[in-house]
Amino acid sequence: MTTTAVTGTPTGRVAALAAAETRLVLRNRTLLVSSLVVPLGLGLFWVLTFSGQNPATVVALQLAVAVGMGLYVTATQTVVARRQQKVLKRMRTSSLTDTGLLVAVVAPSAVVAVGQIVVFAVLNAVFGVPFATDPLAFVLAVLAGLAQAIAAALATAVVTPSAERAQITTLPLMFLLLAGAVVVTFVPLEGWWQALLAVPGAGPGVLVRFAVEGGLWAGGLVPALALAATVAWTVGFAAFARRRFRWDPRR
Amino acid sequence: MTRTRQEPVIARPGAASDASAVVVRGLRVRYGDFEAVRGIDLDIRRGEVFALLGTNGAGKTTTLDVLAGFGAPSTGEVSVLGMDPRTRPPQLRARMGVQQQDGGFVEELTVLETLQLWQQLVERPDRPERLLERFELGHRRDVPVGKLSGGEQRRLDLALAVWGSPELVILDEPTTGLDPQARRRTWDAIQELQEAGRTVLLTTHYLEEAEALADRVAIMHRGRIAVTGTLAEIVAAQPASFSATLPPDAPALPELTGWVERSGDRLTVQSGDLQRDLTAFLTWADAHGVRLDGLRAAPASLADVYHSIRAEEEQ
Repeated sequence: MTTTAVTGTPTGRVAALAAAETRLVLRNRTLLVSSLVVPLGLGLFWVLTFSGQNPATVVALQLAVAVGMGLYVTATQTVVARRQQKVLKRMRTSSLTDTGLLVAVVAPSAVVAVGQIVVFAVLNAVFGVPFATDPLAFVLAVLAGLAQAIAAALATAVVTPSAERAQITTLPLMFLLLAGAVVVTFVPLEGWWQALLAVPGAGPGVLVRFAVEGGLWAGGLVPALALAATVAWTVGFAAFARRRFRWDPRR
Repeated sequence: MTRTRQEPVIARPGAASDASAVVVRGLRVRYGDFEAVRGIDLDIRRGEVFALLGTNGAGKTTTLDVLAGFGAPSTGEVSVLGMDPRTRPPQLRARMGVQQQDGGFVEELTVLETLQLWQQLVERPDRPERLLERFELGHRRDVPVGKLSGGEQRRLDLALAVWGSPELVILDEPTTGLDPQARRRTWDAIQELQEAGRTVLLTTHYLEEAEALADRVAIMHRGRIAVTGTLAEIVAAQPASFSATLPPDAPALPELTGWVERSGDRLTVQSGDLQRDLTAFLTWADAHGVRLDGLRAAPASLADVYHSIRAEEEQ
């Protein structure tokens, strides 16, 4: 393992642990293949199957899979595994802050998720699926999705006793993230559609719709509500995790 | 040496000074209805090796967790190197090393990678190569930690705890599961810390370990500190004993102050005044021409104190 350039600073310490965690991901061929080949296959299947469909739905589905499966599930499993191994407890005796420690542990999962999104974007471009007409809005949607998934992973870790059990405890929220993100890309934004924002994932889904169809920066209630819903879910998950998170293995 | 059944008697609250590395007052830790630590006081002086003894479930690890900042007290005051560990100040973590009872490793990382990572995560300067050599792990440097033997993992664990020679080192059962040779090496490392003026707080249920290493000990039992002091103080307060095998026709014993127990022909006397009782006994034997086979006299051991505490609690 090489020594990180910026050491001895809070950022350097986070980077050092994140680099070690990333190295583990790269060494684990099964994880690497499932993280990159599976989305590649799925992406290929979707662009071929849904090429004539609403492009916002395809892009939202891709984003939801990347942050829902690639980030949310993996980050939950990683945090819980490190807690079970008492690695979190040991790292808390180092000079890492608690926030820095968690950031470092989930960072590789976030990097993998971003990598998956890039794979999807390349596939879309190759097969002519309309992608984001507003790249800035798409970046905003990605950031919103990442933030919500990371907060959700920490919250789910609260109620997950083991890495194996994470495969079950993450299921409900993962489906909600997927469904929420996809449904809001094709329902008319009128009437009582706002009720859908009560579903996690819907906020980033609306942002994806604007990224594909344009109009985010024209103002209006819809993007504001989508952003507010995303922030509310993220803050809610984070607050729950902050209040109830355990650093020791659950007994 | 001071001793009570319910209340620890060490320094009175407020008596701690800058000479104290750790000060605990009225510490209680509850988990739901279960009270793991039931009101303890501690003063651990800078530069001493302090051993916390006790059986499983005595509350040792819970106490250590509070001192290391892992757990919060239900009530009570705790000061470690003059700081409150509950807030986990970075200045405290920079000056304190902690060895866990087990685990705490990313098992896929090699020994060298683990040390190199630790080098980047702690503020105390040190070198992986020095620790590899000191703890005889050089030949295992490229082996994933998960493939190390239990003893090797404990050595690596200790290496991380003493990284950069912190002012205070907390060791939770550092030699549990080690073979005698590995245990000896761990003792050497602790004695090196002591010689360097570091404060060491360790838990153990090996009495000989406490006797070999500790300047002072506290014995915990069921969440309380039953006895604390130097080994000499603790042992001096415990009755010494002498024993001998008497012939079947031995005459009636002289009047002794101690507690007399007979098991067949073997006589054992527990005495708070060994010199007086032993003199009376030998005088009696000489006067009656009684031959005392297997005569032995010994001061109390830490084991005697330990067993006495357990016996008192169970009564």
